[in-house]
Amino acid sequence: MISKKIFISFLFLVFIFGPVWDAPADEAEGTVALPRDNVNKEFDAFFDSEETSDPLESMNRVFFQVNDKLYFWILKPVSTAYRTVVPHSFRQCFGNFFDNVAAPVRVVNNLLQGKLAGAGVDFSRFLINSTVGVLGLGDPALHSFGLEPRSEDFGQTLGFWGLGEGVYLCLPIIGPSTLRDSVGLVGDGLLHPATYVLGTPQERTAYYSTDKVNLLSLHPDLYEDMKRYSLDPYISMRQVYLEYRRDKVKDRAVRNEMMTEF
Amino acid sequence: MRYMQVLLVLIFCSFLPDSSAQAVPGPTEQLKPTLNVLLDILLDPSLKGSEHKEARRAKIMGHVTQRFDFREMSQRVIGREWRSLSQEQQDYFQELFTKLLENAYIGKFESYSGQEVQYIGERIRDERAIVSTQIENNSQWLPVDYIMINKEAQWMVYDINIEGVSLVRNYMEQFKSILRRDKFDGLIKLLEEKNRTFE
Repeated sequence: MISKKIFISFLFLVFIFGPVWDAPADEAEGTVALPRDNVNKEFDAFFDSEETSDPLESMNRVFFQVNDKLYFWILKPVSTAYRTVVPHSFRQCFGNFFDNVAAPVRVVNNLLQGKLAGAGVDFSRFLINSTVGVLGLGDPALHSFGLEPRSEDFGQTLGFWGLGEGVYLCLPIIGPSTLRDSVGLVGDGLLHPATYVLGTPQERTAYYSTDKVNLLSLHPDLYEDMKRYSLDPYISMRQVYLEYRRDKVKDRAVRNEMMTEF
Repeated sequence: MRYMQVLLVLIFCSFLPDSSAQAVPGPTEQLKPTLNVLLDILLDPSLKGSEHKEARRAKIMGHVTQRFDFREMSQRVIGREWRSLSQEQQDYFQELFTKLLENAYIGKFESYSGQEVQYIGERIRDERAIVSTQIENNSQWLPVDYIMINKEAQWMVYDINIEGVSLVRNYMEQFKSILRRDKFDGLIKLLEEKNRTFE
């Protein structure tokens, strides 16, 4: 009962402080040539920072600290031990496997944004890597066919259709997110095969934890480098997350469109 | 008759080189040589290894400062308060901030081992420009954009954007909250402490 109350008041807070809905984006799909005004708007976005909405900063900072402790007390030791036992090439293969299993998430989200080419690429990648790549352990689709993954998730899909990012959230265990991306996470969970194949919550937790530990073992310095180079790691991480996600929603194709080719 | 004279002058003028557009090389043309020199230094076997760190860093920074505008960056990360600082404060801040960027990012670049760099395109608007490049990283392309400003016919980099994440804006946001809380002197103290951790 109490948790429901907290949840409702939390939502209330969010709606008071953070405009969730932005005006629908008038940008067209990636490869279509943009009208000049839109190109200029995109161009200006490079110079001027977008407003960051972080009304829950004090709560976020608490969870940031919690995650920081979890990282150094649990995640890092586990990942380091795992890294010393399992050779790099194996970990690379496991990473490919986890990526390949998540293919439905990318295919469906490409489709939801009307990106047929992207959906085709990711579907082909899934077919090639599941067969020639031996259950997704290898990535021949990239190395032999040059098919780069078109990562799309439900957070990006919502952004594509004009939903604003909402307030910034630092979630326990999950880490940096926004209101929109948190909804996106739930949507992607529904698209992820692990949700249906693995019966119990314990099994799913084990699956996602292994995925994360493996991922961290492939990029062991990322978090600590970020902390080392920044004076306020909380803000640095928030800024990196928000700009990275905005760039993802905007799409490379659009931004390359506005560059004059040589 | 007078009409003919004007016409002749106009025709003559059209053959003169257009000083505003043609004589000055564009942002990409100016950026490319600097980046090439930097990549050469990183690959130079006589400068590799930690025993040559000092010499390598000095050489890199010598070239970086010719094309990267640390004054402009410093001004931007501080924001509105920059003008209320004295000349000495500005200079000292610039020195500390340059040192921080050197420690943090040149250190990262030192792992470069000859990956291909591609120039995607450039876009100029008034005195500002973006030069879009991408660098190969584990058989995928990592987009790196250089944001530049035109100062007396010199295109100078004042921000680097990696996968849409701006370097200067990241520090700007951090400094904003530090300045609010600890004022300029507090920021200086934090920067000094940070730089010491790299020694």
